[in-house]
Amino acid sequence: MREHRFSRATYRLLLRTYPREFRERFARDLDSDFLEMARSRGGASAWRRALSDLFRAVPLTASDAAAERARTARIAGPIAPPGEPVMRSLLFDLRHGLRALVKAPAFTIITILTLALGIGANSAIFTLVNAALVRPLGFQDPERLMLIYESIPGSGRDRFGVSPADYLDLLQYQQSFSNLGAYRTTTVELSGGREPEQVDAATITSSLFDVLGVKAAEGRTSLADEDQSQSSVAIISQSLATRHFAGRSAVGATIAIDRQPFTVVGVMPAGFEFPRRGASSNATPADVWMPLVFTPSERQARGSNYNLSVIGRLREGPPPAQAVADLSALAIRIRDNYPADLPLKITIGAVPLREELSGQARRPLLILFGAVALVLLVTCANVANLILSRSLARQRDIGVRAALGAGRLRLFQVLLSEALILAVFGGALGLVLGYWGVRAIPAIATTSLPGASTISLDWRVVAFTSVIALGSAALFALVPLAAGLRRDLHDLLREGATRATGGRRQHRVQGTLVVTSVAFAFILLVSAGLFVRSFRNLVTVASGVGTTNVLSAQVRLPLTGYSDATRTRWFYRTLEERLRALPGVRAASVASDLPLEPDGERRAATVENPTGPGLKQAVAVTWVQGDFFGSYGIPLIAGRTFSADEQRENRNVAVVNKRLADAYWTGENPVGKRLKWGLTAASPAPWLTVIGVAGDVVDGPPGSDPPIHVYVPYAQATDALLTSPVVDLGRRMMTGIRGDQDAVTFAPTVRAIVAELDPALALSDVQTIEQLERDRSAPQRFSAVAVSGFGVGALLLAAIGLYGVLAVSVSERRREIAVRLALGAQPSGVLRLTVREGMTLVAIGLGVGAVGAISATRLLKASLFETNVYDPLTFATVPVVLGVVALAASYLPARRAAAVDPIVALRD
Amino acid sequence: MTPIPLTPAVFHILLALAEGPLHGYAIMQSVEASSGIAMGPGTIYGTLERLEVSGFVKEVPAARRDRRRTFALQPAGRAALQDEARRLSRLAALVRAKRLVPRES
Repeated sequence: MREHRFSRATYRLLLRTYPREFRERFARDLDSDFLEMARSRGGASAWRRALSDLFRAVPLTASDAAAERARTARIAGPIAPPGEPVMRSLLFDLRHGLRALVKAPAFTIITILTLALGIGANSAIFTLVNAALVRPLGFQDPERLMLIYESIPGSGRDRFGVSPADYLDLLQYQQSFSNLGAYRTTTVELSGGREPEQVDAATITSSLFDVLGVKAAEGRTSLADEDQSQSSVAIISQSLATRHFAGRSAVGATIAIDRQPFTVVGVMPAGFEFPRRGASSNATPADVWMPLVFTPSERQARGSNYNLSVIGRLREGPPPAQAVADLSALAIRIRDNYPADLPLKITIGAVPLREELSGQARRPLLILFGAVALVLLVTCANVANLILSRSLARQRDIGVRAALGAGRLRLFQVLLSEALILAVFGGALGLVLGYWGVRAIPAIATTSLPGASTISLDWRVVAFTSVIALGSAALFALVPLAAGLRRDLHDLLREGATRATGGRRQHRVQGTLVVTSVAFAFILLVSAGLFVRSFRNLVTVASGVGTTNVLSAQVRLPLTGYSDATRTRWFYRTLEERLRALPGVRAASVASDLPLEPDGERRAATVENPTGPGLKQAVAVTWVQGDFFGSYGIPLIAGRTFSADEQRENRNVAVVNKRLADAYWTGENPVGKRLKWGLTAASPAPWLTVIGVAGDVVDGPPGSDPPIHVYVPYAQATDALLTSPVVDLGRRMMTGIRGDQDAVTFAPTVRAIVAELDPALALSDVQTIEQLERDRSAPQRFSAVAVSGFGVGALLLAAIGLYGVLAVSVSERRREIAVRLALGAQPSGVLRLTVREGMTLVAIGLGVGAVGAISATRLLKASLFETNVYDPLTFATVPVVLGVVALAASYLPARRAAAVDPIVALRD
Repeated sequence: MTPIPLTPAVFHILLALAEGPLHGYAIMQSVEASSGIAMGPGTIYGTLERLEVSGFVKEVPAARRDRRRTFALQPAGRAALQDEARRLSRLAALVRAKRLVPRES
């Protein structure tokens, strides 16, 4: 019975339109007949018949049947005469409406397309909003989850993670949360399968998945027994399990993570995303979760490693504000555990997890949502306008029905059915457009959104669209009714002899709708203009790197196999040498941090004898091997870069960026000055001598200020750093090569060279810097393109609306125009008259729009990059564009008015 | 009193039932075989229900192992069918008298 399952379910749903008694009696037979038809003649034929049934022979309801019986008994026989309508339901009206719409194809097509565009844009954007802001996080009682963070006043950053030592204190002291969990993200090498690959991973405390309240699809989520030992167990994602174990059960199997065997103890359900995107740190969804193990030094160290994300589940009872207050009180207690020579005034705070996750995505999404809501309003205004114009044609129909005794409700139903058809078709088409729209949104624009991996059209989106479509249907049905019923029936019927005209009130309504459309189009176009300017400002701001022909790739060495610092140094030095030797390569380097990307190390540094005010922020530090500045096109402003000797052994030298030099050695030559790691000059780190000054490079989101930066040779990285089990800073390096031609062509060669050195290594993040720059500004590009699209859409809709109103007005006033022409008016005068009528509406719309735009663009301020929200150019261009388009839209009906032949028009 | 013409659906259903009780799907097939008219099940059952109200047909217990609803022609239905047949044959005679179709040999 599995055949035609979907068809049958749909058919059963359709059967609901039959009266209940009938259904109860015949549903089973109808169903089995349908199946038999589908079997013997195929589904299409069965459907043809079933549908024609619905429209032809809807059985009577019980009360109808009684009335029918009484009626037919009175007339000659028991059987209704042929041609007698037997249904009086909504379905009848629908059929009637459908016929009426088919007879007016231009109106129908324009209305449906208009609706579809508005609804399509709306559902596409709502899909994003839904994924990022509405859809549940997938955690149990997520409103009780808080993200806990530490702050260090004067650090130049408002929020850090929690350090392991402080986390352990928190665990011990805190009372407000029933439990805490901590995690941090990393990447690991997964091997043993076909190709070695780099996968995103998270190390988590055993309590974490309990705190979140999530369950494994298979196996367990608890790493409890393993927490404090180096025992090798892991939980993996469904997608990794499918990819790696293809059908076999993953639980109990062994995988090699960073060349160590790990036993899989659990598989998380499909669609489980953790860590969620959108958080300010540790925000890359993992495929592998491993126990978080603190090293003995981590357990002790204060004032460093602020890198844990900590989530707490609130106890029942006290409000979140209480928990936040408790945490700040705890911070003071934890400060006492800091060594006396480390006077860090740390504070501890917490925010609701949901707020943290949607915080960054919220504003751009809500702006898009606002824009699209305006488009929908313009759409509705336009459709109302179209229907209103059409209601002229139906006014006689309504008048006759009313005269024959139809109640208002009945009339409403007649009109509603027509609007319903438009809404259903428009809504369905809109949903299709929305589906395509979501596909068309570039993936890169949404990767920063929380829930991006789960973006899809789901029932909420469908419900949202249906509500919009049906709501507008009801609204549209009211419009002609309100316009029609107010008119005197008597007039209406008498007028029918000639033709119905709209009347003053309807003209005013339609005029208002046009003004509204123009005003909204104005606001959207101004917003679009501002976004485009902001985007241009953003991409033209200098990032500090030369982007042509540069290819980068990440080569990460697992600790197993590279536990010897000498071997690691040898590896990267050899890699750089071989890359440099490639034909067509101008410069090659290996570095611990990719320019532009904020993934590098930040450290506290102390400058010897500063003469400038300095900057209250941590120093970005990059370990480099080879011609780093050459490979990324970073200019050397003063001094020199590292010599071969300095690259081979530790000579304690550094290159600083211009910003650092300007801030600390104002007006002096920085070359020869010294600085060291640590908060004070008393730190045990050696002094580093500045040998050169490099140009500033952005190391954060596009448009952000470059940090103060120190570059040191990779030879100066300590053994402890290279062999740290906690951070892979010194073993996760980026190659950078600048070539003579398109750098992408080097990708296979780089892969081959790495494989030559260690065939088990996986290369990741292979990309050109050009690509990287484009990707970085993708969200802004998307905003600019989307808002521009909406602006142009609104412009077209407004033009269509204006055209429609004027066309109706002209055809109504044919007689008046003919009389004028007959009395000697010039066609050019008539043309001017009509154009003036349109432009008056446009002028009012522009005025209203300007006021609206001035207040609306203020909301955009925070999303614009170095752009004046009252940008004169934008505010001057938009009315001109709107005016020209409106002029064209008025000209067409005006020309028709001028072409009226008085003799023909007056004879009619 | 001249009989009211039957609708095609009614006529064909009554005609199909003239040979004996049938269920809905069998009626559909029979109508299609004899006249080429394709009727959907909704039409068939809707009409059957109305005919039942008028006393033209009656639901009868179905044959064993077939749970589908089966209907049988009633005397009133047979009379209506005969009236319709007479009306149609008068019409046919009229058509022939006007020599619109070649006389059957």
